[in-house]
Amino acid sequence: MIAGVSTEFIPPGPQSFDLPPIFSGVEWFTKPVLVAALSVVVILWFFWGASRKAAIVPSKLQFAGELGYNFVRNSIARDMIGSPEHMKYVPYLCGLFFFILLNNVAATIPLIQFPTFSHIGWPYVAAVMSWVIYNAVGIRKHGVWGYFKHQTMPAGVPGWLMPLMIPIEFISNILVRPVSLSLRLFANMFAGHILLLVFVLGGEYMLLHSGSLALGGVGIITLLMALAIAGLELFVQVIQAYIFVVLTAQYIGSAIAEEH
Amino acid sequence: MSQHQDPKPTPNTSGDGWRVLSYLIGGIVVYGGIGFGLDRWLGTPFFLPVGIVLGAGLTIAMLHFRYGRS
Repeated sequence: MIAGVSTEFIPPGPQSFDLPPIFSGVEWFTKPVLVAALSVVVILWFFWGASRKAAIVPSKLQFAGELGYNFVRNSIARDMIGSPEHMKYVPYLCGLFFFILLNNVAATIPLIQFPTFSHIGWPYVAAVMSWVIYNAVGIRKHGVWGYFKHQTMPAGVPGWLMPLMIPIEFISNILVRPVSLSLRLFANMFAGHILLLVFVLGGEYMLLHSGSLALGGVGIITLLMALAIAGLELFVQVIQAYIFVVLTAQYIGSAIAEEH
Repeated sequence: MSQHQDPKPTPNTSGDGWRVLSYLIGGIVVYGGIGFGLDRWLGTPFFLPVGIVLGAGLTIAMLHFRYGRS
């Protein structure tokens, strides 16, 4: 290899997320759409297979399916919403959790390696769906005016502070919640993916194209770091799916709560 | 289907921290926004920082009333 920089290093950036359509001519069919569709197929297969031949002594697949379902029902829905009412929301929460989980973990699965939710439209739609649901169940339970009062009058605040608190409570419950819900998921997926791109592409460039022995050594270290970061990212992907669903459940729970 | 009837578990508080964050943003956005508007209207330079501090302070007071006494 000749000394000096042979080709210019192009750092990854937001343009790394602009993927071309898979079939030319079908503009909307890009990699995130394909990954999301695949995840739906996998989830359907998994839960259909797990519940098809339900038995007292479960098969391995049934056991895994019940484990996942029980986790969402008991640790998320029941703890956040409360015992008799939570069952109504378990299907939504369960579907949401596994959809986000699979699409996040897709960023780690070899050959796919792209987080669907790093395209901002996906978390927006998921958050708006949760927003509509928790507002709708709250309005159905308390009535429009009752729900409005319920969401803007914080509990335990002395009366003279109330006028100052109402705008905060309103903005925080009605406007900030859906935005923070979607941005948290988006930013984590976007940043995780771009971090991996920086480490892998930079390491590869330093190792193969820099033409310097010292930089090549740094490139090897960088690629090893990329492996460690990939492990960390897997953790982040799971946590973010969990956080999104926990918060959705908590918002539903607080919307239908009696005391407030 | 097996319905587990184990005793009521301790409430899951793993989402509280994130809710607190949304309150903090809300407080700063509301009162910072009012301060920003007053500054634009009156041409003064100080309502925006006052609003941000006031909003953060009010939010902390509210969090104290909501979560701090249980």
